[in-house]
Amino acid sequence: MVQAPDAKANHFQVIGVERRFEMDRGDLEKRYKDLTRVLHPDRWVRADAQARRFSLSRSVQLNDAWRTLRDPVRRAEYLLKLDGIDIAEDRAVPPALLMEVMEMREGLAEARGDRARVEAMAAAVRARRDQELGAVTAGFASGDVNAVSGALVKIRYFDRFLEEAEADHAA
Amino acid sequence: MPREALFDISEPGESKAKAVCAGRAVGIDLGTTNSLVATVQAGQPVCLRDEHGAIVPSVVHYEADRVVVGRQAQAFDDDTISSAKRFMGRGPNDAEATRKLMPYRFAPGSDNVVRFAVAGRAVTPIEVSAEILRVLRARAEAELGGPLDGAVITVPAYFDDAQRQATRDAGRLAGLEVLRLLNEPTAAALAYGLDKQAEGTFAVFDLGGGTFDISILKLEGGVFEVKATGGDSALGGDDFDRAIAGELLRRMGKPDDAGGDRLLARRVIAESRAAKEALSNASEVPVTVGDWRGNLARSEMEALVGPVLDRCGPPVRRALKDAAAGDLSGVILVGGATRMPLVRRFVRGLFGKEPLADIDPDEVVALGAAIQADLLAGSGRGDVVLMDVVPLSLGLEMMGGVAEKLIHRNTTVPCGATQTFTTYADNQTGFDLHVVQGERELVADCRSLARFKMTGIPPMPAGMARLEVTFLVDADGILRVAAKEETTGKETAIEVRPSYGLTDDEVEKMLLDSFEHGETDVKARMLVEQRVEADRILQATRAALVADPALVPEADRPSIDAALRKVEETKRASDHHAIRLAIEGLDAATKEFATRRMNRALDQGIRGRSVGEVEAKVQR
Repeated sequence: MVQAPDAKANHFQVIGVERRFEMDRGDLEKRYKDLTRVLHPDRWVRADAQARRFSLSRSVQLNDAWRTLRDPVRRAEYLLKLDGIDIAEDRAVPPALLMEVMEMREGLAEARGDRARVEAMAAAVRARRDQELGAVTAGFASGDVNAVSGALVKIRYFDRFLEEAEADHAA
Repeated sequence: MPREALFDISEPGESKAKAVCAGRAVGIDLGTTNSLVATVQAGQPVCLRDEHGAIVPSVVHYEADRVVVGRQAQAFDDDTISSAKRFMGRGPNDAEATRKLMPYRFAPGSDNVVRFAVAGRAVTPIEVSAEILRVLRARAEAELGGPLDGAVITVPAYFDDAQRQATRDAGRLAGLEVLRLLNEPTAAALAYGLDKQAEGTFAVFDLGGGTFDISILKLEGGVFEVKATGGDSALGGDDFDRAIAGELLRRMGKPDDAGGDRLLARRVIAESRAAKEALSNASEVPVTVGDWRGNLARSEMEALVGPVLDRCGPPVRRALKDAAAGDLSGVILVGGATRMPLVRRFVRGLFGKEPLADIDPDEVVALGAAIQADLLAGSGRGDVVLMDVVPLSLGLEMMGGVAEKLIHRNTTVPCGATQTFTTYADNQTGFDLHVVQGERELVADCRSLARFKMTGIPPMPAGMARLEVTFLVDADGILRVAAKEETTGKETAIEVRPSYGLTDDEVEKMLLDSFEHGETDVKARMLVEQRVEADRILQATRAALVADPALVPEADRPSIDAALRKVEETKRASDHHAIRLAIEGLDAATKEFATRRMNRALDQGIRGRSVGEVEAKVQR
């Protein structure tokens, strides 16, 4: 396996944007596409083997960076990870959140098959999620890492609930 | 021949001037029912035709001493294989091979690959496809006046890894240099996008003979981004024919599997297809099968076909949701089945939009593939980039038969993922991994791709060895796996046992068998191949040295010069191993130079603002 020429670069360095939470999505996308135009293996198909390998590994790296940074939740988790905080391992889940989530899931189990009720519950959870995403933004702005990781833990649970609600919807 | 890929990237402004030297690169639509080959001539994609037109029916007839392909093969009933594409990357126990009304005889063999019994021998779908590709290659070489530079072969976006591998292997057997496997819907969008300068979000609805694909693509500033893709690799116009055939057999008072009469099955399916096609323009047609005569009305036909067509609905809705696409700018129709008025009504209803069909739905994929081949050959249309996605999630079998997803569906390729495993026994030196593809939670419900056996882990107490496994999906959508023991940094050996299809050794053997005159010819061929490769790398390297002399590290110059001379020398001798080694030597000598060129290309790619600057700013 050939290592990418700068395997240690973080996602922000790979796309060439400042390491911070707030980000202009349009600017990020433009940079990503400009870089793709250069790095994509299609552009190097006729080059020597070395360049072809580089183009492949750097494209993988670039796509990975884009996938992480374009989504605010993944971007926030990644920023914490760069600072050595892994919310899956480091963060104890507050009992109140667990209670709330348990109640939500019981509600979903009861509503199963009733499309309107499931959709109403999902809408309420989406609103709660948006609120927590606001807390993430505010937490990064004020440098309050605890507030950020607390909000991210909640978002994780909300997302899992929304996935289940959607699965019910599809069934 | 165009070899200026490096120039194109460093000097985008000049690339237009160099576009004049058009290569002999072709695009091939290797279809279930029909296959076509196209190339770009004077800037326009065109299908290559014979006196019967562009279409070569994907039918192969075998005799003891010859193989007949295409229209002529359709005249035969026995020892004739059609729809081989349905069996690519499939095993004899798969649904495709056990379905009713299949006019084939299967030969016994391994569980990895289907074998058809024809004219006293057994052939795999890969070999059947290679026969079709050989005919297309011959047509292109006759038309373009020389050996081909390379080919882009299209595959349904929904093809899994085994099906893609099988397609690539067929190309190799046919003596083609496969530049890229391109997803059919992406090819169609390319044909529409480039010719019509379209921008926006498009759906490509592709209903071919044997497969259904739906893709949502975003076209913007020359970047073709596949947002989502879905479909059914066993649903197509053939299934319409089968549904009609079942009804005709019922009316004839025969069992709906034709009672195992393969000749009858073939006839009734052929009549069903003819009736279906005629009913696109007529409201009722007479049908004759042997002595039996009857009539079929369009409304009757639509009632039979409707339930099959409805199976297109769920994948479309899922793709639209995955793409999170807002308003669609258009819906592109691909595949012969989209000529049917019923299908057009269905598409209009599904998307609430009149579909686009100004390019012949039979030719559009081959035309798009030709454009991609032209792009890859360095035509100077350098501002177009195709970004495709993984069609089905890739995962690993974990304890308890659960599939853990490593790479999710609709992730842009190329992409990768890394997972660390630990040993569970003292002094364990090997490790088995089972890779599966699919969306379901249980391994048993996913498609088995391959088993990887890793050996050579240094002996350590249980739990100490850390095996880092890297999965990489390349731009063709094909998986590669590498593994390394982390504490020692030792690369481990990997033995791949594909669950379906042929191993590399088997393909190699088929290649050797296809050269009739034994080992000397094989050696001669290897020598020619290595000389071509040597010429290619010499040209690419010299061009780069002329273009970017300032980027050559001073310390590397003597070793690069020596390595270039070595390649020249070995190329004139006749030992293909020596040429290979010299090429690898040049590869190593230019490593730093290549890095610098890549970085400079990047700098220019982000228009005047270098990554280095940004990094410096961030780190400060």
